[in-house]
Amino acid sequence: MSILSFFHWVQSTDFMSFIRESGLTYPIIMSTHLACIAVFGGMIVITDLRLLGVALQNRPIADVVNGLRWWKRLGFIIMVSMGIMLGGSKAVDYYPNPYFWTKMSLLFLIFIHAMIFRPMVYNHPEKLDASPIIPTRAKAAAALSLVLWTGVVCAGRLIGYYEPPSQKGHVVRAATK
Amino acid sequence: MLFLQTNAIADALNSSEWVFPIAECFHIAAFAWSIGLIALVDFRLIGVGMKRETASEIARATAPWTLLGLAVVLLSGPILFLSDTRMYLHNPSFRFKIGALVIAILFNYTIHRKVALSDTSSAGVKVLVGVVSLALWVSVVFGGLFIAFA
Repeated sequence: MSILSFFHWVQSTDFMSFIRESGLTYPIIMSTHLACIAVFGGMIVITDLRLLGVALQNRPIADVVNGLRWWKRLGFIIMVSMGIMLGGSKAVDYYPNPYFWTKMSLLFLIFIHAMIFRPMVYNHPEKLDASPIIPTRAKAAAALSLVLWTGVVCAGRLIGYYEPPSQKGHVVRAATK
Repeated sequence: MLFLQTNAIADALNSSEWVFPIAECFHIAAFAWSIGLIALVDFRLIGVGMKRETASEIARATAPWTLLGLAVVLLSGPILFLSDTRMYLHNPSFRFKIGALVIAILFNYTIHRKVALSDTSSAGVKVLVGVVSLALWVSVVFGGLFIAFA
């Protein structure tokens, strides 16, 4: 099965069709997705700022990382669930959209980031606190995290700006009439 | 307000198809940043998250960063608005959003700030202030998104 035929199947399921066709459901899911980004995004921001050494410097890194670990995961699960509903209900439209694939690629890089930096940074914050200065690997993890997540947010917004070539043609034809 | 529709700023904004999307990216990334930092204080007031820190420690540490984010939000927002003032002024979601935003900002820098910085407030008051703050900011986000659907 190709990716496109899989996307066709996802979009045609009863659940995804319901989301697409009922007027208010889609914007409510999108608002929830966006509100989660705002409410839970701060947990990523404060972790990164602490690792960079520019906020909460007089408090242990372990407090921030350990205190927020499970809340970040909860937020991520809600955000991704909403995202799957948004993408799944318009999967065929999303297939040719370069911003959608940019966003997916950035999310994949975030997965790689986690694989690399969890064992090195996030799983042992006490070791970072024991160090007299914040280790470079922690600062690198934080800086990359900020760049990648900002990229995800921007790519996510730009998905809405892509016009498929067929529709662009319509606009041009209408304008030249 | 009609002059805003045809002014030089609107012309500049509409001259490039990239100005509006880029301003929107700044707007969204910055509101996620600032609302998220406020939400950290809210969560602590409710009693979850960074429980080894007090709400006042979190509020003090995040305040300058929250303000930075809000500054970007409040600079990029008017750019979006000026691109099509007539549409926004007639949009019920936009009106709701601006109302919620004004209340959220006033609440944040008065009651929210006072309760977050005084660790002696009762638990009930803290929870109430945390919940109201979260509800206000989530309303702003919902109102903003519904501009496109109203």
